[in-house]
Amino acid sequence: MHLLQPQLHSRRAFLRRSGQLALTGTALPFALNLAAIGEAAAFDATDYKALVCVFFYGGNDYANTVVTYDDASYTAYSAIRGGKADQTAGGIALAKSDLAATLLAPGTLLADGRQYALHPSMTGLSRLFNSGQAAVQLNVGPLVVPLTKTQYNSADRQAYPLPPKLFSHNDQQSIWQSSSPEGSTVGWGGNIGDLALSSNSNSLFTCINVTGNAVFLSGDSALSYQVSTGGAVAINGIKSNVYGSSAVKNALTTLVQQPRSHTLENEYNRVTIRAVGAEAQVTSALGGSNLATVFPAANPLADQLKMVARLIGARSALGSKRQVFMVSLGGFDLHDNLISQHPGLLGKVSDALSAFYNATAELGVANKVTAFTASDFGRTLASNGDGSDHGWGSHHFMVGGAVKGKAFYGTAPPVSVGSSASAQDQWHVGQGRLLPSTSVDQYAATLAKWFGVADSELAGILPNLRHFGTTASRPDYPVNLGFMA
Amino acid sequence: MLATEHEYLEHQLAAPDAAAPAPELAAGAALLASALLAACGGGGSADAGAATSPSIVSSMLAANVVGSYTAPASDQDAVRFLLQAQFSASDDQINDLRKLGYAAWLDAQFNAPAPMTGIAWLNSRGYDAINNATRYYDNTYPADYMVWHQLMVSTDAVRKRVTLALSEFFVVSLLGLNFSWRSHLAAAWWDVLAANAFGNYRQLLEAVTLNPAMGAYLNTKGNLKENVATGRAPDENYGREVMQLFTLGLYLLNPDGSEKRGGDGSKLETYNQNDITNIARVFTGWDFDQTQNVNTVEPVQNRTIPNTAFTQLPMRLNPANHSTLASNFLGATVPAGTDGTAALKIALDTLFNHPNVGPFFGKQMIQRLVTSNPSPGYVARVASAFNNNGAGVRGDLKAVFSAVLLDDEARGPAGLTQTGFGKLREPIVRLVQWGRSFGITSARGSWKIGDLSNPATQLGQSPLRSPSVFNFFRPGYVPPSTALSARLTPAPEFQLVNESSVGGYLNYLQVAIRNGIFVNAPDLPNAASSATNGYDITAAYSVELPLAGDAQGLVKRLGLMLCAGQLSDASQTLIVNALNATPITAASSDSAKRDRVAAAVFLVMASADYLIQK
Repeated sequence: MHLLQPQLHSRRAFLRRSGQLALTGTALPFALNLAAIGEAAAFDATDYKALVCVFFYGGNDYANTVVTYDDASYTAYSAIRGGKADQTAGGIALAKSDLAATLLAPGTLLADGRQYALHPSMTGLSRLFNSGQAAVQLNVGPLVVPLTKTQYNSADRQAYPLPPKLFSHNDQQSIWQSSSPEGSTVGWGGNIGDLALSSNSNSLFTCINVTGNAVFLSGDSALSYQVSTGGAVAINGIKSNVYGSSAVKNALTTLVQQPRSHTLENEYNRVTIRAVGAEAQVTSALGGSNLATVFPAANPLADQLKMVARLIGARSALGSKRQVFMVSLGGFDLHDNLISQHPGLLGKVSDALSAFYNATAELGVANKVTAFTASDFGRTLASNGDGSDHGWGSHHFMVGGAVKGKAFYGTAPPVSVGSSASAQDQWHVGQGRLLPSTSVDQYAATLAKWFGVADSELAGILPNLRHFGTTASRPDYPVNLGFMA
Repeated sequence: MLATEHEYLEHQLAAPDAAAPAPELAAGAALLASALLAACGGGGSADAGAATSPSIVSSMLAANVVGSYTAPASDQDAVRFLLQAQFSASDDQINDLRKLGYAAWLDAQFNAPAPMTGIAWLNSRGYDAINNATRYYDNTYPADYMVWHQLMVSTDAVRKRVTLALSEFFVVSLLGLNFSWRSHLAAAWWDVLAANAFGNYRQLLEAVTLNPAMGAYLNTKGNLKENVATGRAPDENYGREVMQLFTLGLYLLNPDGSEKRGGDGSKLETYNQNDITNIARVFTGWDFDQTQNVNTVEPVQNRTIPNTAFTQLPMRLNPANHSTLASNFLGATVPAGTDGTAALKIALDTLFNHPNVGPFFGKQMIQRLVTSNPSPGYVARVASAFNNNGAGVRGDLKAVFSAVLLDDEARGPAGLTQTGFGKLREPIVRLVQWGRSFGITSARGSWKIGDLSNPATQLGQSPLRSPSVFNFFRPGYVPPSTALSARLTPAPEFQLVNESSVGGYLNYLQVAIRNGIFVNAPDLPNAASSATNGYDITAAYSVELPLAGDAQGLVKRLGLMLCAGQLSDASQTLIVNALNATPITAASSDSAKRDRVAAAVFLVMASADYLIQK
């Protein structure tokens, strides 16, 4: 029985620790006594490693990001997306000639002569790919079990369960981040962080979020600690006298950090306590962490990644050996204006990731830091006029010195919106919404394994992983996708 | 599996007129409005107005449909209600409310005259000018000023509080309006929500659907029918979100808001991708109504700019772009060849009459105004008021908001001692409460309160600036790594709370409370810098400054007016002692008195007692 249970993820992880919880005499995850639950052995963290999740909010249009390029598939793409004669632009199709400069040159050619180029605005990322520091995972998305299109269309949801609420933004964001739809409280980034807490002298700096609140970085024990692009926010009224009064400053300091019997009041103050407690250390550490690498201006993703790079630069001062970060860029829900809006977004992604890679090289940790992309979902290949609609599978990027770059992983999906029984039409579920041929769990497991998570721990972090790989008799859906060195 | 739902819908569709509010009710409401206004304005015969009121809210109270509390028993009770129903409380309002009772007071608010609309304010400030130097048509900042002005000073505060709540349910964001006259589009959107806030949900849904800002935001504008030759399909964005967010939600609900379960214990999905693909056809063929455009050629850029008329007109159907394929969704059918207007009526009637709407919408309105985790019974009572206002009308929003605000769970004392009752006041509401409580004014009338979305330096939230159609926070958001996550208890507003935003709020507030809001060029409507740069928007503290010498009295008053008496004795003592460390007498300077008042307000608004509204 493998019906996906929405709370399976957190429940599994919780049960995993429940025996140990008895030792601490409390059932509240935040009150865990980390020393008592003995996770120190999870990593042999004598070195440093970091994972950086780069989330594209809104659902990125895969077909104009990693663009099919060989003549046969480009012709099909152009016909579906409204391109004009002689491989020129039209509708929501890009001109083939504009793609030549960003053509990807993998070390091993894809089957059937398939070729891909990146969107013309992604020059930096195409260079990273071609020089071996970036790779592309083709057609990855949430799956509970490996699925064919026939199985997707089957009425037997017991045998062929689907991820809940496909095509819904908020739920698919949550599922990418946590394997469960909205309302989930534990993400796989956080669960990886759980195992790393004891590797870091201040466990608060294990999971650091430089974007808005998201479930990805919250573990059973690990907290998602938020830092702004300007660093930790100091509370002025606690640092200095308020309107000239030290008594008011002291009252404020007490008031905003006192324990409360009301649950909501107490939780609000707990955040403030954390903020105040960490701010001085973060501010001091960042003061000694500046970069020569130039990050692009007017690029919110670059601002966030620059802060991540500075925090990595401050890893010694922060006592960090294993960290998981999250950054994001919004605006990808391009039902309209795909051609006018998408280039700016993808240009920001490419420029920001390129600068970030350069910064990690400057810091001497290029092969210790891996950035990977994620998004709500891919979009339709079919056009709705001047944009595309919500889809499922998508292509994603892995960037870093430890990535086995200059390569594609997974399977290139046929370029199709047809609904016949032919092989060509088997990898989308209507209008070119890709049926993923690689699951998010496989993608996450590959990253987690590089990070140092033991095989035995993966199952507790990624609840559907047990349906993939050789132990599930599905060697065609390997647990390790092989893109990490 | 869905048989019962389909039967229900067929039944509803057989009697389409059930959706429309009875005309006599509307007439009655108008009569009542004048009666009550006379009553309140005259300050005399308030009792007569309440006693003879035939209003929905009175009849609901009389029938015990909405709670058993008819009038506040104390000033604290009165303020508690006022802070849920609007943003702030004043001495006059406390007195009126205690005199009139909840029903008559609410009726008066439901029927209060509409002050200046957002559009009218923009135009009064010259933001409709066509000029290459200012290019208001390409800027969103006039809309920020407009909406903050509406929130801070409009006299119809209950309507504006509900409008804010509606703007967080039916979301259009300035971040997604890349059209000429985007500020006017946003203002017209705000005005449509305000105008329909106490009308009927069915009309509201139609106004929302055809509003040009919504059309631009969720792509109904310019949505084209399918093209079989090219494979182009209708845009599904509005079709999906109108079901997921504006009417039904993802799962079939019981009337108490709990999810229905199938025989195997699984939740039952409200709709599937097929429903979306079908209903998307209904939303094709619509576009801005440009029939009243008067174009001006802006000479510097030689750019043709229309006037703002289209921003205030419902979108218009172009039949040539409308799909006439049959459309089947949620058990309803739009037959092939149905014209666009008739198809829209079928779709909106179907959505409106779905049994999910009452609990889905009602629960979120409770969350916005009263508490993050209402009991199932509370949700059921609000849903019941949605389903039938007592006079056979479905979707009467006066009935819904009366039920939300007058339920025993909102009014009774139990919530004051439960450790989980209430909600985090959202940052927008905190700033508006500050402004309204202490009489803020804009010295030069600029009302230049801009985008305050930056969590590290400002509020981390700004009206009409949600990051997406999913609002600033989700109704089901459970803050991870908290006592709430252990029980999977939602606290939506906590989605805005993190280690940056707690400090950003305090730092912003500390300056605003003492000095006001700094404005560039308050003498000019545009975003310039001038010699007049300064704190144009300031609080008067006219009641509080005379209390400056009496720390105890000052804090007690703030505890009442800002916290409805929910500022604990311990917090009051802490604050009073801090204030008394700097002695103030009648002879002290105005600046010193202002320091003390500001310190008191700041400490109260920093306290968890205040931040969590019970």
